[in-house]
Amino acid sequence: MGLIDHQFEDNFITTSIDRVLNWARESSIWPMGFGLACCAIEMMAASASRYDIARFGAEVFRASPRQSDLMIVAGTVTKKMAPVLRRLYDQMPEPKWVISMGSCSNAGGPFPTYSVLQGVDKVVPVDVYVSGCPPRPEALLYGLMRLQDKIRKEGTVLRKERTIMSGDSEPTMNTDRVV
Amino acid sequence: MLIRFLKNVFLVDLLKGMWLTLKYTPQPAFTFQYPAERRPTAPRFRGVLRLQTEPATGAQTCIVCDQCAKACPDDLIALGGHREPGQKIKILDYFDFNLSRCSFCGLCAEVCPTKPIKALIMSEDYELGSYSRDTQILRVDQMYDGVPIEQYTR
Repeated sequence: MGLIDHQFEDNFITTSIDRVLNWARESSIWPMGFGLACCAIEMMAASASRYDIARFGAEVFRASPRQSDLMIVAGTVTKKMAPVLRRLYDQMPEPKWVISMGSCSNAGGPFPTYSVLQGVDKVVPVDVYVSGCPPRPEALLYGLMRLQDKIRKEGTVLRKERTIMSGDSEPTMNTDRVV
Repeated sequence: MLIRFLKNVFLVDLLKGMWLTLKYTPQPAFTFQYPAERRPTAPRFRGVLRLQTEPATGAQTCIVCDQCAKACPDDLIALGGHREPGQKIKILDYFDFNLSRCSFCGLCAEVCPTKPIKALIMSEDYELGSYSRDTQILRVDQMYDGVPIEQYTR
């Protein structure tokens, strides 16, 4: 797909190609097994026969980043792991997506410490954040369906470049506490 | 010797194994068809944090006592209110809940003192997914009636 990415203007042919390619992409998302902590157990449960992630075409957990489309970051990302994660992401072939699963990889979770990466979106562009600690297998499947929605509406030929979130753009809460 | 040879020729062990597989085949499928069929949650399941109103009148039950914000081990709740002359309880102005870090421990809902209707509960909603970090901070209107499903636009 690298040949036709970012090559054409928006017209009838490219939008039709978009629809076909997006259908193909959304219905066979091969995830990379990237389990780092307890969320990985729920990820395994989601791929087992009770919840059966194969119903969404995402059952083939590849051990190699070269064969996978989706990286499910399941668990706490330490700062020592972060360069490895980025390297694996760079090794994935181009139509690639990232699901951040669980509080730890969303924002660091209950570990605001020196050793834990505060959100995996500082390293890789995240498409869907699944909240939960850990999320139920259903919640992961829900996140996968949200990702499929996103892929469906994506421009395949006119795909936009994604950017990594910088640390300053984190959302903030009200701080003037009234007691 | 001869018996073993015959067993090997007629694949008896293989057929035994296949028979076992075949016995399990007519059983109904074990899989939950998740988006259509939903597994009931356990009675004390802790889902996302929710504010409750009084069911009859729809009035606010939260008394802005700040107990939940103090109980939270990660400081994920910020709330505030003001007094109005006619009314007894404080009016809730804002209630920000940072979902992205929450570990669903339930300490905030445990300390909530309002009776008979608890203002802050751990609900049964677990389908939480968002496309950006901004929508992971729930504001007061989202705390009352569920996390809205965000639509992805091109």
